[in-house]
Amino acid sequence: MRTILNRLIANAHWVLFVILEAFSGWMLFNFNDYQGSVWFTQANALAGYLLEKEADFLKYVRMDAVNQELTQKNLLLQYNNEVLRRQLFALTKDSSFTEQVQARLLDGIRSIPAHVITNSIRQKDNYLTLDKGRLQGVRPEMGVVNGTGIVGIVYLVSDHYSLVLPILNSKSSISCRLRGTNYFGSLRWKGGNPLLATLDDVPRHARCHVGDVVETSGFSNVFPEGIFVGKVVDIHNSSDGLSYQLHVQLGMDLANVRDVCVIVDEHQQELDSLESMRIPDAGGQTVRK
Amino acid sequence: MIQRELENLVRMLVWVAFQVFVCNKIHLMGYATPIVYVAFVAYFRFGYPRVGILMWCFVCGLLVDIFTNTPGVASGSITLVALLQPMLLKAIAPKDAVENMSPSLLSLGYMTFMRYLFLLVVVHHLAFFALDTFSYFDIRHAAISCGGSIVLSFLILWGVEHLRTRNRKTS
Repeated sequence: MRTILNRLIANAHWVLFVILEAFSGWMLFNFNDYQGSVWFTQANALAGYLLEKEADFLKYVRMDAVNQELTQKNLLLQYNNEVLRRQLFALTKDSSFTEQVQARLLDGIRSIPAHVITNSIRQKDNYLTLDKGRLQGVRPEMGVVNGTGIVGIVYLVSDHYSLVLPILNSKSSISCRLRGTNYFGSLRWKGGNPLLATLDDVPRHARCHVGDVVETSGFSNVFPEGIFVGKVVDIHNSSDGLSYQLHVQLGMDLANVRDVCVIVDEHQQELDSLESMRIPDAGGQTVRK
Repeated sequence: MIQRELENLVRMLVWVAFQVFVCNKIHLMGYATPIVYVAFVAYFRFGYPRVGILMWCFVCGLLVDIFTNTPGVASGSITLVALLQPMLLKAIAPKDAVENMSPSLLSLGYMTFMRYLFLLVVVHHLAFFALDTFSYFDIRHAAISCGGSIVLSFLILWGVEHLRTRNRKTS
């Protein structure tokens, strides 16, 4: 008995090794269970806090360049505005139409501005961390956009931070269509160039050209329809030859994303609250009242 | 005793911070990313309790995992290295080594220490990329990344060790 015990104590490190490796393996294979893994990802408060401080520091360091860029952009925009207004005036067309379209697109959409704390573009599965979380109204499955196009979808939320699954993640798939037509496909990213994604499953009879604009289709409720995604740069056949695979130059440069907006779908909240009303009662009684 | 553990804690935090805030930002040609926290294992003293090494390294790997969104990958691979480190050190240490010798360029000799460090780096990277590749399909990309990262990590650790040695000589 004593010898067995002694041998066990002498080999305690082997036992511990197996336990620790088993725990690592458990974490590795449960990684897809995101809702439970807040503590093991960047969405936890301490990691988020530290990375936020680092991002703040880097932002401060780069302020000069950003300022310059903004000033230039502002000048350009003012100039464009002036030119467009003059053109519009010259054409004397009904200017209210443009406003109507814009208003219709943005009707019922509220957005939460957020800063990017960390991002990566070199891995196969990239993630973004934002400095807004559940307490600011961010929920999983919300769309994230910035001025140059769509960024991704919120995947995991803690109280003050949220983890975003950007387009540049092998698990991301976003329903998109070609502007002006209703032909749609799913936008995926297959690694490599962070500015190049593919639009799969576009039917062969769809007429598409290099330079066509790709926009969100609005099928998924995550993004409203008509948000700019990118432009077609190349047209290929899919591997099975049954559909087209379009190479899309993304408008959004993930390496350069600092400020984004999380799109809040009012109807989604309504749906959520309806769901939560149903759970405690379990019989739908509340609805009848 | 407590001072020794505090020393380990500080050492671990420094390596993790170096990894998270500096090395994770390096992507040489899109492939090679140095993984340097493995050096935390290399500097455990001769005769340090093996259970202690395992626990420290697991926590170190867990911290790195949390900051890089790779649960299980870093902790799993560094725990393997932590198991091998005492055996390797025992195998290569000179016969007349002191009781609690700390592995370094000076105590082990130049070639021996570099071989020791290189072996640890290689084992760790192989384990790391094998785990990382579980969800990956492109074996060629993984192989290039692994090779590139081994070279880059080793070069950085080589530089760090030289700096340490120079500091110790001057002080």
